[in-house]
Amino acid sequence: MKRTCIFQDTERMGNTTGLLEAARRLYGEEAFDTCGVFLDDPGDHFHGIFSHVVRVTEGLMDRWDARAMTGVLEKLHQQHDFDSILIPATTLGKMIAPRLARRLQAGLVSGVTDILRQKDSIEIIRPACSGRILEGIRFSGPAPVILSIRPNAFDYTPDASPGGGLQTNVSEYSAPATARSAVKQLHVEKIKQTRDIRDYEVLVSGGGGVKERFSDLYPLAAALNGTVSASRKLVDQGIAPRAIQVGQSGKTVSPKLYMALGIHGSMQHLAGLRQVDTIISVNTASHAPICSLSDIVVQGDTGEFIDRLMEKIMIHKLNNKDS
Amino acid sequence: MKIICAVKFVPDVDSVVNIVGTATGDPETIRTGRHPRMILNPDDACSLAFALQVKAGNPGCSVEVVSAGPLSVRPHMEDLLRLPVDRATLISGRFFDEGNSSGRHNSSVTGDLLAGYIADRPYDCLLTGTQTLDGGSASVPVQLAEALGLDQMLGIIRVDPHRFDTRRAVFEVADDTRITTYEMVMPCVLSLTRESGYKLPYVKLTDMRRDVSDDLTVITAEELGFSEGEEGRTGSFTRVMNIYPKTYDEKDRHIVQNDEAGITEVFDFLKAEGFL
Repeated sequence: MKRTCIFQDTERMGNTTGLLEAARRLYGEEAFDTCGVFLDDPGDHFHGIFSHVVRVTEGLMDRWDARAMTGVLEKLHQQHDFDSILIPATTLGKMIAPRLARRLQAGLVSGVTDILRQKDSIEIIRPACSGRILEGIRFSGPAPVILSIRPNAFDYTPDASPGGGLQTNVSEYSAPATARSAVKQLHVEKIKQTRDIRDYEVLVSGGGGVKERFSDLYPLAAALNGTVSASRKLVDQGIAPRAIQVGQSGKTVSPKLYMALGIHGSMQHLAGLRQVDTIISVNTASHAPICSLSDIVVQGDTGEFIDRLMEKIMIHKLNNKDS
Repeated sequence: MKIICAVKFVPDVDSVVNIVGTATGDPETIRTGRHPRMILNPDDACSLAFALQVKAGNPGCSVEVVSAGPLSVRPHMEDLLRLPVDRATLISGRFFDEGNSSGRHNSSVTGDLLAGYIADRPYDCLLTGTQTLDGGSASVPVQLAEALGLDQMLGIIRVDPHRFDTRRAVFEVADDTRITTYEMVMPCVLSLTRESGYKLPYVKLTDMRRDVSDDLTVITAEELGFSEGEEGRTGSFTRVMNIYPKTYDEKDRHIVQNDEAGITEVFDFLKAEGFL
C-alpha cells in the first residue's frame, strides 16, 4: 500500500483537506495510507481521516524553523518510507519542501494546482510564467516525490476518500532537533483583517483603473455582503494590502460574484480566478482580457459606475426599510 | 561587509503575446511568437537594490552578483557592473543553452551550481529574490541555503539597515495576517520580495559608456567540478513533459454602457441573483 505524508502548516490548517484530496488524485482508486504531521496542534479533528497522526512535541522547535521541521520530516521518512510527501505551498511550506527534496535526493514539484491521471501515468500540473502557462510534469524516480500544493487548489470530497472512518493511530515525535535555525522572532504586528477574501461569496475587486477611488470599493462591497480584493498592480503600488491580492502571486478565489473594477485581466490575475459563477467587469476598454470572461461588461469610468450603482443600492435599501 | 546577490534574468512574461503550447521540456525555453525580452527578475532586483543601498552607506562594503544562466544574458550582467557592483559572475554551460530540451535543468541543479561557486567566495550575507516570474516556485534560494548549510527566510519586505551587519540581520516578513520581525545570525540567505520596494539606482551616463566586458567573469559548470552526468543528480526525477497555454472559457458577454440603462441592468441582475 502506498504511503503519503501530509505536513500541516499550523498557520493554515484549512489546507489540510485540500492536501488529502491531492493525495487521493495521486493514487486514484489505489488504497493508500495517510500520515498527518502536526506541529503545535494535536490534530484531533483529523481523527478518522488520517491513518496516522504524528504530533510534534510542543516546544521542540519554533514553528517558523524550516530547518528543524525539515529534519523531522526527514526522520519520519526514514522510519515510514513514504511514497509521497505533500506540503502546503505556504511561506513555511515553501521553505521546507526544497530543503527536504535536497536532503532526500527526491523529486520536487512546487506550487501544484492539479493532478491528472491518464491510464498508467500521472501528470502533475503547476502554473509557470506568472500563470500564462501550465506545466505538465511527470515523475519517474525512486520514492518519495515531494509536492508542494498551492492553497485552495483542491477541494476535498469526504465520501470519495478511502481514509474516511479510519482508526487513527496517534504518536508523538519528540526526538531533539538535529539542526535548528539561528532565527529569533522579535515582534509580531497583526494586520487588521476580519476574514480571508477566499471565504467570501462576493468580491469587489480593484485594479489600476480604480486606484484613485479604491477606498470607495469598501462601501460597495459591504452593500453586496462581500469584501474588497485587488490586483497585483494596486498591491505593488502600496494601495492595497497583499492579503487581498488575487492572482498567481496572490490568492486563488472562487466567489459567486466577482466584480472587476478597472482590472485589465492579465494572465497572472486570471490565474487567481477559479470557478467564479459570475463576473461583472467595468472597464473603459471593452477588449480588456477580463471582459472576455465576463457575463456583463460595463463600458465606462469605474468611479462613475460606483457612484451610480451605490445611489441605486441606497435607494433600494431605504425603500426596503420603509416598507 | 561582503554581500553576494544571486540573481536571475527571466523572460518578461508580460511582454509575451502568444505562447505556443508545445512541450520543450525546458521551462527556460518559452516558445513564443517572438523572443521575449529578458529582464532582471523583479524580486532579485529588489535584493540587489538593497545591497547597493547598504554599499552606498558603507564604503567598505562590497557587492558581488552571481547568476546561473545562458550566455545570452551576458549584456545584462554587464549592465549590473555599470550600476556599479564590484564583481559579477555568470555561471553558464550546456544546461542553460537555448534549445536544450533535456528537461533536466531545474531548481536543484541551479541551487547546486550557485552553491558550488559561492562556497569558495568570501561573504557575510547572501541576498536573493523570493520567487521568479518564470518559475515562481521559490525553490532555488531554499536549495542554495540548504546546500551551503545556512538559514534562510523567504518573503522579506524590509531589512532594517541599522541592524544589518556581519553579525546579524533584522528584517520583516509579511503574510496574510501579520508582519513579523525576525533576527537571523549571519551568514544567512535573505530572500526579498518586490513588495520591499527597493529600487535600483540609475546608471550614471559615464558608466553607461564604460566597457566592462573584461570585468565579467564567466565560468562553466565543469569548471566548478560538475560533470555532465551530474546535471540530473538531484531533482531530475521530475520532468516537464507538456506545456499548456492557460486558456479560459470565453463567455457570451453582454456589454452595457455606463449610463442609466446600463446601471439599471447591473442593479436588476444583482437583485435577481440575490446579491441585494
